[in-house]
Amino acid sequence: MAQIRFENVAKYYGSVLAVDKLNLEIRDKEFVVLLGPSGCGKTTTLNMIAGLEELSEGDIWFDEDIVNFMPPHKRDVAMVFQSYALYPHKSVYENIAFGLAMRKYPKAEIDKRVRDAAARLHIDHLLDRRPNQLSGGQRQRVALGRAMVRQPAVFLMDEPLSNLDAALRVSMRAEIKDLHQTMQTTFVYVTHDQAEALTLADRIVVMKDGIVQQVGTPDEIYEQPRNMFVASFLGNPPINYLEGELIASGGRMAFRRDGLTLSLNDDASAKLSGQDGRKAILGIRPEDVDDRATPAEGGAIDGHVNFVMPIGSDQFLNMKLEGKELFFRVGKETRHGNGEEVTLAANLDRLHLFDPETQKSLLWDQGG
Amino acid sequence: MSTVSNTHRYRERPRLPDLARKLVIFCASVILLVYVLAPFAWLVSSSFQTEAEIVSVPPHWIPHEPTLENFEAIFFYGEEEVTYESRTQADPASGGYIPSTAKDLLPAMWNSFQVAVAVVILNLLVGVPAAYAMAKIRFRGRNASIYTILTTRVIPDIALVVPFFLVIKNLGLLDSLGSLILTYLAVTVPFTVFILVSYFESLPDDLDKAARIDGCSRFQTMTRVFLPLAVPSLVAVVLFTFLTSWNEFLLALMFTQTPAAQTLPIVVASFTSDFTISFSFINAAGVVAVIPPVIVAIMFERYIVSGLTAGAVKG
Amino acid sequence: MNRLLPARLAEKLARRFNYDTRSAMLFITPVMAVLAVVAVFPIAYSLYLSFFKLKLTRPHRVPFVWFDNYIDLLGDELFWSSVGRTVYFSVTSVAAIAFLAMLIALLLNETFRGRRILSAILLIPWAIPTVANGLMWKWIYDSGYGALNGLLLQLGFIDKYLIWLGDADKTIPLIANAFVWKEVPLATILILVTMKSIPADLYRAAKVDGANIMQRFVHITLPSLKPGFALVAIYETMMAIRHFDLFFILTEGGPGEASHVSAWHIYAETFRNLSFGTGSALAYMMAIVTFLLAYFIIRTLGRRL
Repeated sequence: MAQIRFENVAKYYGSVLAVDKLNLEIRDKEFVVLLGPSGCGKTTTLNMIAGLEELSEGDIWFDEDIVNFMPPHKRDVAMVFQSYALYPHKSVYENIAFGLAMRKYPKAEIDKRVRDAAARLHIDHLLDRRPNQLSGGQRQRVALGRAMVRQPAVFLMDEPLSNLDAALRVSMRAEIKDLHQTMQTTFVYVTHDQAEALTLADRIVVMKDGIVQQVGTPDEIYEQPRNMFVASFLGNPPINYLEGELIASGGRMAFRRDGLTLSLNDDASAKLSGQDGRKAILGIRPEDVDDRATPAEGGAIDGHVNFVMPIGSDQFLNMKLEGKELFFRVGKETRHGNGEEVTLAANLDRLHLFDPETQKSLLWDQGG
Repeated sequence: MSTVSNTHRYRERPRLPDLARKLVIFCASVILLVYVLAPFAWLVSSSFQTEAEIVSVPPHWIPHEPTLENFEAIFFYGEEEVTYESRTQADPASGGYIPSTAKDLLPAMWNSFQVAVAVVILNLLVGVPAAYAMAKIRFRGRNASIYTILTTRVIPDIALVVPFFLVIKNLGLLDSLGSLILTYLAVTVPFTVFILVSYFESLPDDLDKAARIDGCSRFQTMTRVFLPLAVPSLVAVVLFTFLTSWNEFLLALMFTQTPAAQTLPIVVASFTSDFTISFSFINAAGVVAVIPPVIVAIMFERYIVSGLTAGAVKG
Repeated sequence: MNRLLPARLAEKLARRFNYDTRSAMLFITPVMAVLAVVAVFPIAYSLYLSFFKLKLTRPHRVPFVWFDNYIDLLGDELFWSSVGRTVYFSVTSVAAIAFLAMLIALLLNETFRGRRILSAILLIPWAIPTVANGLMWKWIYDSGYGALNGLLLQLGFIDKYLIWLGDADKTIPLIANAFVWKEVPLATILILVTMKSIPADLYRAAKVDGANIMQRFVHITLPSLKPGFALVAIYETMMAIRHFDLFFILTEGGPGEASHVSAWHIYAETFRNLSFGTGSALAYMMAIVTFLLAYFIIRTLGRRL
């Protein structure tokens, strides 16, 4: 079991700051996902947990011990790499057993663990093969097996699914989630794929340029993004943004941009009362509209459909309104056509507002 | 524009360019073969000729009366001393003279062999850990180390001779194989490190990380994961180091004085400067000196080329 | 940050000498130790020696003479003429090597039956010990019975045997020929490797653009080979400048001073004149020159690459 704590951790490469002022606590048995675009510092953070990178400042704790300069082979972590990093000259069996052999486990124990893991991952028929004889998916499982048999305190995964094709990726996600349930160990997982993060994580740590943007459960991150980066990074297709201003209207606050006015709900109105005239950026996710319901008072979006992209169960509408191009997703009950004028009902409980200069959310608390 | 003739023109593959290409390649290959093999072939041919035949004008390209007597002198001189006594006591001026030092040839080969093997082993012992560290461990002074090591090869062998000679002489170690082994390291180690570092760098970093997480110390990572994977470069190192040691002349010339420590090139060279020695014998000595490295080179051509090219273009 | 000084110092040390650094130091120590003894020490020692007048004929009188040795050498006409010969030898050799290597590489770049065998055979000159190489060519160049004379006579180019190595004008080119013959295989491999890394698409595009063989060679092959040529030039120049073996075996610096190059000069001064002081000075100068040469070549070419 392991609780990992970062205290004011920073990492420099020469004069380049890779990770800045990281304060994070990963609870025992938690599944934490480090999410962000490439270069955001998520892999560096993972490597610092593993001991593959040395931190420049701060302390890293495993439970009650400081592990700052402890070399990787003394830490009780296991890691799955994006490239799998299987030993080409060893058989699948030897690959999986290697970590246990290095730690001098008894042969019988090693054999048992390896075969159990292989059976679990459905690769028991491959134990004698070499890695270059396996498919990508099979290699991935071997890499998982190698980490599993160690029964480590911490399980680290560095974009393990990026090299797999789409269908395989989805099924492996489920397996990894299942693995976490069975093993009851702390998982730290790095990815740039927001869908993956939302599916797998107990908590997500969103990072950009070495700085943590927000830490929270998938729901929190998705529904209460603290800044525009987080809001736009999660969600596919990404959130729509409109510049405008806040106005007071009929006892509540509202957002206005030229001809468009959207009333804010009670909560939001209360938080933003008295800020009449303040410039703000509205965020509205593509799925938070409805083309069948009648819009409530102050909840209508009128726009001109540029083109329609049907995808399976839904339609994407590329619409123009108030001088901007937005994307919305609606069901297929009503077929829309290019050039149509359409009115959508916005879900007023799901509006996001941001300060144009700081890019921070006006609604959700910035702490933590 | 007549479309009929165009259709016919490109209907079938034109034969002339193809033939021309084949012809050019053939001629070029023949020329290359002659350039490379002719001098060598003449050496071999001369070694099978009697002294009487070898002085023909113009020379007999292929021996009319091939003989093994020169090779016999080299390999069996020590044993059949009495029989050859009369032969070698023949008038040196006639040019048919086979020196008594002929018997030094085989022991000299053995010296060369011992030195080469020792140098190879030392190179590997010293070079592999250094190459692994420089390729896979990020540490202060890593770049400086690489440059330093490669720069030492720029030093000409001659510059090593004088200081070494004095030191070895004062230590009384002149004429010992040990001094050769040590000085040969200066000539071989930088290149060994170059080959190994290039190759290690081409192996994935992730393997190193996986091994360390699996519980390997740095040393274990090197021995259990990277060494097995680096075999091609190790073979190249063995080949280069062996050949360099075997062929080395200048340092051996300086540091050895008696057949006890003299290596093959020295003994062979001593023949060439003696004008009374039979030409055919000298050629035979040359052939004996040449055959082992040539065989090694031809058999391991693939490794030699890959060892050289690892990083050669980049660096 | 209320850390006590010892604690902060301890952390600094831990950081500087962490496990990775300690391991690396350990792994590098053998190499560095070896090279310090067999490479660095000799250079330092020969510099030291070069400040003394050390003649092995009178080993007990060893006065310290500062730069006298150097001044004597630089004033010696033989010194400069040997430098000139060295340059002549090196330039002609390297040019010939680069040219031949390119031709052979062009051939070996094609696919045809027997190419592998040809490549293997090509390694023979490289594998031969320099002694054997010298011996072989000495025999070929022999004025009385050599193959060169015999061949030329048989082909009708000459009507009687000529003197080759003994002819001062011919000496260096002949030695260069032997040197080139041995060095060409290695140079060919280096050029060939560079050639193989030229993307095939460049040639395809050129063909479509209408370039013929010669044009493709001039506009694509030659420019792309620059790194290869650079490497060959650097390496072979280093080898040519310091080459000694052939000069010893073929001509011993003669006839007269026809093949008295810098490398031979060092040998003659040290082991024939037994003047170790000047010999060291010469050796040291050559080491410096080679080093500077390598440094500048790599710098200028490194920028272009």
